[in-house]
Amino acid sequence: MTNAVAGVGLAPDAAMVTFPIEMFLPGSDISPMEVRQREFYDGLTRWRSAFAGDGVSGAPMVHVQSTSVEDAFARANHLMLANRWGDGLPLWPPTRERVDWILGGAAQPRGRGLGTFPPRGGVTTVESCAIALAMAGGRPEYVPVLVAAVSAFLDAESGSEQLAASGSAFPVVIVNGPIGAQIRLNAGFGCLGPDPQRPAGASIGRALRLLQQNLGGALPGIGTMANYGGMRYTNVVFAEDEANLPSGWTPHGAERHGFEPGTSSISFAFANGVTNIRRRGAKKETPEEDALQGMHRMADFMRVPNMPGLAGYERGTPGILMIPGVVAQTMAGLGWTKASIREFLWEHSRIPVAELRRAGCPAWIEIDASKVTRESLALDPWPITASPDNFVIVVAGGGHPTNSYWMQGYSPGVVGRPIELPSSFERLLADAERDLGPR
Amino acid sequence: MVNLEFHDPSGAIEVKQPHAPRIATLEGKRVGFVSNEQWQAYRMLPRLKALLEVDFPGIEVLPIDAFPQGNAVIGSEETAALVKESGVDAVIIGNAA
Repeated sequence: MTNAVAGVGLAPDAAMVTFPIEMFLPGSDISPMEVRQREFYDGLTRWRSAFAGDGVSGAPMVHVQSTSVEDAFARANHLMLANRWGDGLPLWPPTRERVDWILGGAAQPRGRGLGTFPPRGGVTTVESCAIALAMAGGRPEYVPVLVAAVSAFLDAESGSEQLAASGSAFPVVIVNGPIGAQIRLNAGFGCLGPDPQRPAGASIGRALRLLQQNLGGALPGIGTMANYGGMRYTNVVFAEDEANLPSGWTPHGAERHGFEPGTSSISFAFANGVTNIRRRGAKKETPEEDALQGMHRMADFMRVPNMPGLAGYERGTPGILMIPGVVAQTMAGLGWTKASIREFLWEHSRIPVAELRRAGCPAWIEIDASKVTRESLALDPWPITASPDNFVIVVAGGGHPTNSYWMQGYSPGVVGRPIELPSSFERLLADAERDLGPR
Repeated sequence: MVNLEFHDPSGAIEVKQPHAPRIATLEGKRVGFVSNEQWQAYRMLPRLKALLEVDFPGIEVLPIDAFPQGNAVIGSEETAALVKESGVDAVIIGNAA
């Protein structure tokens, strides 16, 4: 794939004249284009697509032969890397048997179309999800979350086309409802990292990444120009810690998307950075001082000119704030709600326009597609998002009061999906209990 | 002997429409630019306009601001309609990086 137009139905090539990045920098020497002017002319007159004709081109099965199972697996892994299907970590070859087993967790038929993955435009089905999940070491009971996440990813509202850009956005999947605990998705200590006790997030997120790469063409420097590509081995998949939600606080899925509390659902957004915030005080603060100082510290971390965040200024999110259950309980005891926290953060993360001007930010704001965003320049101090409601606040993380976590947004939308379960779901959970031990 | 058969994870691609046909020559043609105003487009596209005008007799190259500019608008249906209405024979889109 050499362009970003395949996803809209064009062939995955294009007439292009490419130059080293230096020519595109301020003050550059642009004379190299005169040396190659003929290429521009040929692009308009002589170029031909290598993909003749319309229609669907499918992918055949792959075969590996060896004298031992060990060597066959090694060869399969080498082949998957050579074909640019891997991520550098060992893969489980997606055999028919493995993929059929994974598909036991699907509520939909295997051929159900979910859309096309940008920018390459790979046709995406429930089976595609199962193939990626098999490669990522997943299990059948993870399929419902992955299918919901892929459906949200492919929703135009998510703004996933930005993933081809240089901003290193990565998907964030927040899970609400009973399915989180049922499939062993982490909501507590280390919920964004590896956890053999709760392995679901790593497999689901890795499968999503493999879909981005293998169907979407998101190869570094080819289908995605992400400078750094952080958090991309497993993306971010975690559950809200609903067991520790304070009384009166609403689960994220209900609050942002209107799902009935207790509904298994996902909420999908993009972020492009993460920051740990030492929220807790260090000495003899009263509970009120501890809460308020922590709130100011969080707002201070947010009060930065995050220009990629403009993508979500009007309807998306400036970021996702994770606070541990124990902190939420304390703050609720002092009268704070998710809504009042959002109001506080919105008010105290505003940036004086003089500081925006010093950093050259108005140029970015003025060229934004959203009228609301462009007109926000009239506000001084400038709010980092159009509305307090855009902040995503989730109760998650270990039961310890010291830190909160801020994932800065790069997210035109925040897309919700209810999770569909197969009729065999209880049996799948029993199988997991058999295979992995008690939860 | 162990035979391992597995799915190709790159799936299928559906090409729904061909790229625009190329024109036989640039001589006497009308050419437009659709610019995102990024990556030195404000310098490079006028240079390309000048090169075309020198090399192809009778060519008409529209100014780089003949159509709406900027990433926010160049992909819109409105811009596409304006390009169509202009009657250009070919369009150069830039700059990506």
